[in-house]
Amino acid sequence: MARGAAEWSGAAVRRFTRRATAARADTSWLTRAGDALSALTSAGVFVAVCGGTVSSLREEIAARPAAGAAVLPGGLTAAAVALALGAGLVALFARLGPVSATPAAAAWWLPLPACRRSLLRGELGRAVGLAVAVALTVGVPAVLAWTRTLPGVLAGLAAAGLLAALGVGLLVVRQAGDGARWVPAAAGTVTALAVAGPAATGCLIAAVGGRLPRVPGWSSPAVTVGVLVGLLAATVVGLLVADRRLDRLPAASLRASGETAQYATASVFSLDTRELGRALRTTVRRPRQSLTWRWVRAPWQAVVAGDLAVLARSPWRWGQLLAGAALPVLAARTEGLAEVPVVVAVAVVLGWGAAATALGEPGRRAAASPAADRALPLRAAQVVWARAIVPVAVLVVVCGLSALLVGQGTGAPVAWLALGAAAAPAWAGAALRAAYRPDLDWSGPVLSSPMGAVPTGVGTTLVRGPDAGVLGTAPVALALLLGAAPWWLVGAQLAWSLALGALAVGTAQPHD
Amino acid sequence: MTAAALLAATELEVGYGGAPVCGPVTVSVGAGEAVALVGPNGAGKSTVLQTMVGLLSPLAGTVRFGGERVDERDAAFRRAVAGVLDEDAFFPSLTGAEHLLLTARAHGVADAEAVVAAELAAFGLTGRQDALPTALSSGQRRRLALAGALVRPAQLVVLDEPERRLDTAMRRSLADRLVALVDAGAAVLFASHDPAFIGTLADRAVLIGDDECPVVDPADAVAALQEG
Repeated sequence: MARGAAEWSGAAVRRFTRRATAARADTSWLTRAGDALSALTSAGVFVAVCGGTVSSLREEIAARPAAGAAVLPGGLTAAAVALALGAGLVALFARLGPVSATPAAAAWWLPLPACRRSLLRGELGRAVGLAVAVALTVGVPAVLAWTRTLPGVLAGLAAAGLLAALGVGLLVVRQAGDGARWVPAAAGTVTALAVAGPAATGCLIAAVGGRLPRVPGWSSPAVTVGVLVGLLAATVVGLLVADRRLDRLPAASLRASGETAQYATASVFSLDTRELGRALRTTVRRPRQSLTWRWVRAPWQAVVAGDLAVLARSPWRWGQLLAGAALPVLAARTEGLAEVPVVVAVAVVLGWGAAATALGEPGRRAAASPAADRALPLRAAQVVWARAIVPVAVLVVVCGLSALLVGQGTGAPVAWLALGAAAAPAWAGAALRAAYRPDLDWSGPVLSSPMGAVPTGVGTTLVRGPDAGVLGTAPVALALLLGAAPWWLVGAQLAWSLALGALAVGTAQPHD
Repeated sequence: MTAAALLAATELEVGYGGAPVCGPVTVSVGAGEAVALVGPNGAGKSTVLQTMVGLLSPLAGTVRFGGERVDERDAAFRRAVAGVLDEDAFFPSLTGAEHLLLTARAHGVADAEAVVAAELAAFGLTGRQDALPTALSSGQRRRLALAGALVRPAQLVVLDEPERRLDTAMRRSLADRLVALVDAGAAVLFASHDPAFIGTLADRAVLIGDDECPVVDPADAVAALQEG
């Protein structure tokens, strides 16, 4: 054959693909309008729920006396959490490209001579739209905590949306340059430090009996408008530069990101959080030299050695452990939050849950590829028990230190340390119970709820793991309510935690 | 390396994460030539091919196309090079014929519909032209992917184990098509395990090994292949 006709542009290629797809789609415009209305209604309900929760929390905080060791202004903690969430989003979008090509597009679009810029412009728009939507969703509670005036909320949300769009633009510029592989690691470090830094600062200030001064916020509409206009200008410039760089995106990186995005999207739609974690996890760091494991004498030691190697080569998990230990401390050192024990207890569950999730990594890998475990002269249950050793050992340190710092200023530091350490078996069991949970069961009965049908089989599977951790933290929550850690409670925590941990590990079994 | 080399690799080291998967490769393929990469499973043939068309960055050495460093982001390179490299991905809502029409039109092929019909016939897909990819068998999808590389003009065709999932008659037919392309002045670079395919098509062969990758006569490559 010969060339004789004009080559198609990228826009023509997209148009052809879109029209062929639309011709076979079983969704009408009416269906799409209905979906959009449903999404808007859900967003409205979400904002109303967030607003109500934040308002009632504010009133409760205002009604309570200030806690002595709460030395960090609420605004500082809100800024730290916003920074951590922002860095987390940057890491997420860097893993997704942010511009990517599905395997089909990589195979049939990218080898065409058509301008890659016009081929990928739609993907850029999609990435920006997704980032803005996520930023607005995540930003709603933070903005409502900051201000309750309508102009203030709108300005806050506008800033969150613009920052998200600007972030995507800058990530695309990096993606087209030397690549953005280092970005998730850097963003992860920022996330961990954004939580751990203020928490450590708060503990130091509380130790010397000081208090951080409140930073006066600005209330001038002119300044707010000026900031927003500047942000808008930077975003427009950033997106224009990103658009021009689309031509420089390499096919290999587009395809790799596309496969990640496809895997992650399928996991989200199937509500499978474990698969989502697998889709988004970073690769294990290549060792400088192979380990010899001369100390391994027994099969169970081989399991422990393998788990230690996986964790040692997953630096992302170290940050997760640090942030997990620091989150409850941050809540306990913050004015307003420290006065409400329930908030600190929620932070304890979230933080220690994050730490347990990090330590479940070897178990999740083994559940997905059980061949190595099966080669050991151990029964499956013995392997799982051996796999509990590393999580228990690490969580004794993480939960112990975290509880020690949470209880700062209430006296009896050793009791707080022991109380946290005693919760470790329950969370270690939770890590393994979650790692070895069965696949989601969609065949169970469906429960009717105001938010639509809830598949109960999926729900009961998803809570496997966190259930043991949450129940196992009850004595710690009681100590927070009492404002003290009596030794009888430490004993109760240890007994309760050991029982729950044993039950969780006993029910964590590899499945075919 | 020949003076008229279209694609030339010099001391090319390929691999992942900084670790080479095979010895350095020095090979060139010129217009009207076919070169085979031969080696056992896992030797690194696919990695060499992907690096030579710019889908992977070389660890060391250079790859040049028409004297310029290979850059698949350059539209002129994509216009000149067609390939099927271990891909089995299709748009789920496009029929087989539409996949080929998209490729032909995007390359400015004159009388694209007739060319697509001819390719579908050549690959035995005429009766399945309106089927969606999910309704095609594994072998039919493979033939569709190969048709996508041949439905458009190209100076260089790069194929990774083109014989895979094809029956004997289709392998022979494909080998004859590629020989005709080479006779018409195109260059073909391919990896293969099929002695007949290599014997029919290749002018030279590269034995991909752990330490070195010598360029040999196709008959020697076939012998090495049969010795395992």
